[in-house]
Amino acid sequence: MDFQRFKPHLPWITLVVLVAFVGMVDDTFLRPANLLSLAGDIVPLFIMALGLTFAIYIGGIDLSAQSMANLITVVASVYLASFGWGVAVLCLLVGFGFGMVSGYVTTRLLVPSFISTLAVGGVAFSLAQFLSGQRALNMDAAQRDAVFGWMIGKTGPVPNELFIAAGLLAITLFIERRTTLGRALKAVGAGEPAAAASGINVARYKILAFAISGTLAATAGLLFAVKLSGGAPTIANGFLLPAIVAVLVGGTPLTGGVGGVLNTAIGTLIVAVIRSSMLYFNIQATQQQMVFGLVLIGAIALTIDRAKLRTVK
Amino acid sequence: MTRHFSRKTLLKWAPLLVLLVLVVFFTAINPAFFSLRNFARIAITSSPALMVAIGVTFIIIMGSIDLSMEGAISFSAVVFAFMFKFLGGTLDSWGWLALPLIVLCGAVFGWVNGMIHVRLRIPSFMASLAMGFVGTGAAILLTGGNIVKVDDELFRGLLTVRYFGFPIMVYVAVFFLLVGAFVQSYTPLGRNFYAVGGGEDLAHASGVKVRRVRVMGFAIAGAYYAIAAILAVGKIGQAESVSGANFMFISITSVVVGGVALWGGTGGVWNALVGVLIVSVINNGMVVIGLPDFIQDGMLGLLVIIAVVLSTDRRSIQVVK
Repeated sequence: MDFQRFKPHLPWITLVVLVAFVGMVDDTFLRPANLLSLAGDIVPLFIMALGLTFAIYIGGIDLSAQSMANLITVVASVYLASFGWGVAVLCLLVGFGFGMVSGYVTTRLLVPSFISTLAVGGVAFSLAQFLSGQRALNMDAAQRDAVFGWMIGKTGPVPNELFIAAGLLAITLFIERRTTLGRALKAVGAGEPAAAASGINVARYKILAFAISGTLAATAGLLFAVKLSGGAPTIANGFLLPAIVAVLVGGTPLTGGVGGVLNTAIGTLIVAVIRSSMLYFNIQATQQQMVFGLVLIGAIALTIDRAKLRTVK
Repeated sequence: MTRHFSRKTLLKWAPLLVLLVLVVFFTAINPAFFSLRNFARIAITSSPALMVAIGVTFIIIMGSIDLSMEGAISFSAVVFAFMFKFLGGTLDSWGWLALPLIVLCGAVFGWVNGMIHVRLRIPSFMASLAMGFVGTGAAILLTGGNIVKVDDELFRGLLTVRYFGFPIMVYVAVFFLLVGAFVQSYTPLGRNFYAVGGGEDLAHASGVKVRRVRVMGFAIAGAYYAIAAILAVGKIGQAESVSGANFMFISITSVVVGGVALWGGTGGVWNALVGVLIVSVINNGMVVIGLPDFIQDGMLGLLVIIAVVLSTDRRSIQVVK
């Protein structure tokens, strides 16, 4: 078997091996109901990671995703009463707008995305605190069920969130594979100067990538707010690093141009399996973080396709 | 020619100018900002942050990134607290031994980080991120989530004993700043950092042992994180698994604001110093002029963008990632 051809398949092989491994230790893990609920629980994380994929795909990073989701939980809770379903549109617009600002600052003001998105995240956090009056907010339960109840219900045994996730994955996959935008983003990620030299409007596509990232982070926030029936400026904290990890483990390295949204789907599942397997292996709460880190090093070492990295920085 | 020269000079000093403008700005709004007491306050918050920033500066000069600092600091702080207690719990007895040991321990942590990055060929962003989880995890494991108090009077002297208005920890930070400056400018290792950052292939071709330089860089960074941990423990008198929280974004932001380019090869510890001071002055100044606390994160973000725009040489950049 030619190892070079084998390499791109490493992420999903890692996933299958992990699932089989946990399944051998405890076969209740492999029950469809368990797997479905496991998958349903990570949908907000997945959507955020999906957005981050675009930022990382072009060789950048979006550190504002978590603050954006926080802000959106607040926006959704505050304006649900007055706008009804229109609040969803508002949330996505806010996400798109903030993402565009990140992209603008990165491309036009030439501030590295690590800093620009962090700064925009700070602005989003301040806005969330201002809108919420620094309190946790609750949605009106009846109104939430009427407007967004379909998001968190179940169709047969399958949580509806999984359909949302699948829909978003299909849309992003279409953008990545079948549109000019997707091709342009791949070109920018693979080599920005070359992309610019061949006439691609690099700045515009990069701004769009950050806007997509912001929109998806907003979607994650909206889903999160509906799930928890409320919002707060810090409610989604702790999501950012796992989301980045999900993208990286899936095989989209920070150098850009390699990987994609399918990889992120697999990466998110790997992270979810590692996290939940701790229960099955009886790992104490105090040990989990450390074990997670160690397994992560192993998983990343396995899943990155290094043939496409010129120098390892 | 002259014009070109003056532009270069201006860019070199731009971060410092930004700092001065900020000081003047906050003083103009509230004269209480410009006082020895307040400067001491800024210096105290800056000291641990400066150590982290210097550590990560070496990594960024090489064109890599290190995100393990939060884990490294939490881990070092907790190990230090336990070791200090085990060795007698006071600087009077064998407790002082914990100080060099923990710096060594930090260096080993960084060395492992570097080895994972170089030997397993994992990009530093991911290797160090994962090592950060391991560090925080180890700190949680050791403490079981509890706080470890370090209340030795002599050790707390880092904060309580003052000369010329500034506590000892500030002088410690200045000393290690000078050590960092020495490593950067007067040792082969320091020059090799720039060589690797300027172009890895080129450095390799001219005989620099790139892998060894990288691992050494991470080890030195680890040692600096351990010093930061000691100062952070000295500042609040306790160690816990969140001792290192928030250092990651603050330190990298500071380094970039100070004019160190994330793509490597330029900048140095003096940029890190100015960057840390800029961020600390902004944070302190917003409190002193009485800005409502919920605006401060957003304001910091906006000011950081402005500071980066003003203080980095952006004309020479082709690609901003």
